[in-house]
Amino acid sequence: MNDKAIVCACEDVTALELEDAVRRGFGDVESMKRYTGLGTGPCQGKSCLAAAMRFCADRASLPTAAQVPFRARPPLSPTALAGLAGLPDEIVRRRDSPLPAPAARLGPHPLQPREPLPERANVVIVGGGIMGLALAWNLAGLGERDVLVLERGYLCEGASGRNGGGVRAQFTTPSHIELAKESIDFMARFAQELGINVWLRRGGYLFLAHDEPTLRRLEASVKLHRAHGLVTRLIHPGEAGGLVPELDTRRFIGASWNPDDGVVFPWPFLWGYADGARKRGVRIDTFTRVTALEVTGGAVQSVTTDRGSVRADRVVIACGAWSPSVTAMAGVALPNVPYRHEIVSSEPLKPFLGPLVTMLGTGLYFSQSMRGEIVGGMGDPNEPSGLNQSSSLRFLTRYARALTDLVPRLGHVKLLRQWAGCYDVTPDHSPVLGETPGVRGLLQMSGFVGHGFMMAPAVARRMAAWMGGARDELFERFNVGRFAEGRLEKETMIIG
Amino acid sequence: MRVDGVPSLPACRVPLREGMICARQNAPLGADADLLRAADFLFPEKLDHHHLMVHSRLLGRVALEVARRLAGLGQLPDAVQPKQPGALREEQVVVIGGGPAGMSAAIAAAQRGARVLLLERDGRLGGAALLGVDADAPAAAWVEEHRRALVQANVEFVLDAEAIGIYPNDAAAGPAKPALIAVRRPAGLVAVLADAVVIATGGMSQPLPFAGVDRPGVYAARGLLALAVHQGVRIGSRVCVVGEGQELVDAARALRGAGYELARVVDAAWPNPSGEAVPPTAPDLPLLRSLELRARGNPVRELRAGEERISCDAIAVALPPAPAHELASQAGAAAQFSAQAGGFVVSADASGCTSVPWLFVGGRVAGAGGVRAADSGARAGVGVAERIGAARP
Repeated sequence: MNDKAIVCACEDVTALELEDAVRRGFGDVESMKRYTGLGTGPCQGKSCLAAAMRFCADRASLPTAAQVPFRARPPLSPTALAGLAGLPDEIVRRRDSPLPAPAARLGPHPLQPREPLPERANVVIVGGGIMGLALAWNLAGLGERDVLVLERGYLCEGASGRNGGGVRAQFTTPSHIELAKESIDFMARFAQELGINVWLRRGGYLFLAHDEPTLRRLEASVKLHRAHGLVTRLIHPGEAGGLVPELDTRRFIGASWNPDDGVVFPWPFLWGYADGARKRGVRIDTFTRVTALEVTGGAVQSVTTDRGSVRADRVVIACGAWSPSVTAMAGVALPNVPYRHEIVSSEPLKPFLGPLVTMLGTGLYFSQSMRGEIVGGMGDPNEPSGLNQSSSLRFLTRYARALTDLVPRLGHVKLLRQWAGCYDVTPDHSPVLGETPGVRGLLQMSGFVGHGFMMAPAVARRMAAWMGGARDELFERFNVGRFAEGRLEKETMIIG
Repeated sequence: MRVDGVPSLPACRVPLREGMICARQNAPLGADADLLRAADFLFPEKLDHHHLMVHSRLLGRVALEVARRLAGLGQLPDAVQPKQPGALREEQVVVIGGGPAGMSAAIAAAQRGARVLLLERDGRLGGAALLGVDADAPAAAWVEEHRRALVQANVEFVLDAEAIGIYPNDAAAGPAKPALIAVRRPAGLVAVLADAVVIATGGMSQPLPFAGVDRPGVYAARGLLALAVHQGVRIGSRVCVVGEGQELVDAARALRGAGYELARVVDAAWPNPSGEAVPPTAPDLPLLRSLELRARGNPVRELRAGEERISCDAIAVALPPAPAHELASQAGAAAQFSAQAGGFVVSADASGCTSVPWLFVGGRVAGAGGVRAADSGARAGVGVAERIGAARP
């Protein structure tokens, strides 16, 4: 039997796998890390990243300016929840004035494509997250192949690569329930459609209610779910304790339970949709930053980037929390506001946790990934708005306290890696879809408040059909004009 | 290793204690019968989990169930571990790392009037200097002399204190202090607020990806040296040293000095030469150049280098230690790959100041290991004292 030349000993990544990753286009270390798992184990790359960079520099001909480490994520070494939970309250109390924003990278990215942008495209999609890539794949499937996707980083750099992978149909508006239902069904056959595993594991979603008003809200949503054919039901703490024996059942008074919800591995969705779209003729340019939108005569004309301009009949804004700032380039103000959400992953444990568990009062959520890690986060009611993707010790402390309160046996479990992404929050927690009043050809696909990932397959399918001329009430209902008209669709099952 | 009901602890870093209960993980039949080798048999090249069974929904579901059971390492901890009460400290200058660079930085800053707290992860000061890899660099006598200088300069030094994270300080506490450092102590975590920070965390031994590198008996050369120097433990008597550059030559000589017989010293630059060739004049060493390496035996009894079969008790890997850039990178400091330095060097000006104004680096983190570490640290100490405007005493 052949011994392997292992580069990353934590995750058993071999030199052969790095070769394969480079061949498939994952030649920078951020992409290589995500594709191969290199550097995601207990040592976090301290004993493999240098070798991987040598390899990338050599095989993928990385320019010197791109020979930088992948983003170092705290903690430096595995750290037990019990220690973090014990940090003093002064760390948890936030100062009033927000910190100055970290300086953004200026100038063109060293990994920009060398081939110039095309002069024009029928459709330019701004944002290579799951929304934009799924839309591109669907558009090309309907025959619209002259599509250009512009992504400012590597694929997975934005919220689509930063979420916890929870997918659920438990929402409080019919539109959301239907979009999520169709999307989760698609996820179950994603591997057959797009040739890559997304590891949908239907372990269910357990929403815990800590007080009576929350329980009554869950009661109402269960009725709605059943009317839409979901099997959601309200359960007592004892039954929830049967599903997850490690829960301290004194911390909640009831729960809503849907065994059909689940968790996925988010990254392959992007690679699968991107590959599928490319095979259908779509062009996807990464490391390309949009700097201006030209609008004349009430219609969008072109998109300017840090690599030049491209004329387009239609421009789709699908950049998640960055959508308001990009749309503002066309002189249009979206009501979306970005908020940071932090998240953390633990050491891998043997499977013990089936469902994704979430506590509606605190915004705590956690699940166990296919790799065995406890992946979870927690909303922060005091989080200031802003495009902030930095990590904080406050979050680790709050999360550790809330998690060990609810699951006391996790005290000795060690955290490996924390990061953050941005929610794209609208006033009614419903998306912004369809035309932009006053700018012909400028289309919106944003405002998903942290749950866009779980409904992207259906939203993209319907958006592509609608762009092809099909009628669809979704794009009237969620038009940005509703905020001026006061037609709001309030979604309340928001985590965090 | 599961120790006293706590999963996934590194066996090499947990001190032995009377009555300790240790259990292996993921190897129910012992290390000699590795059930997961079945995966190597079924997928001899590599297991491509992204594209495994994608054509069939049914087989995909089977793969999901199997993969889930194989995933993970330890079982959930047995016992409830209550919160470990932590603490908060406000400091002026914090130096992270108690090797020659960190000690020099702390002394230089304190001599210029700064109040300095020095944090050392291990139970002793000195870091890599105590291993004697570089014959010209500071060694045990230097460390002892400078430990006294630390005391004289009123530097507070704390051992068994590992900085695990550096964050911009967004807490209400110490609003004028820009840095927030999380520090692990044996009893719990301490949050330390600081005006400025010097990172002097040295380097990290790197593995060489050759066949069989994951077999028991393959060690980092500096790890073997630490075992010999600090614990008086040697793994057999005959060792093969593989690696590249000056580190290969220095580590081989240090291992010989620590009592090992050198079976072979193999120059095995991978995958492309680092640019630093092994000095051709090392007539005292049994040098060999080979890129075709294979470790044999469990534990290792033989190294195959091309056609040559070399019997040995252990294989020591000696690559230049990668600068420990991670804490500086966490705080947002820029770092750049350098093949010669063996990893990512944090970018800094002559005073050690990084792209983050309150963050300084010294020693190997700044690309100045070995003989240059102490000077580099001292410059960072001067720089950090000037940055915070410390008055000379």
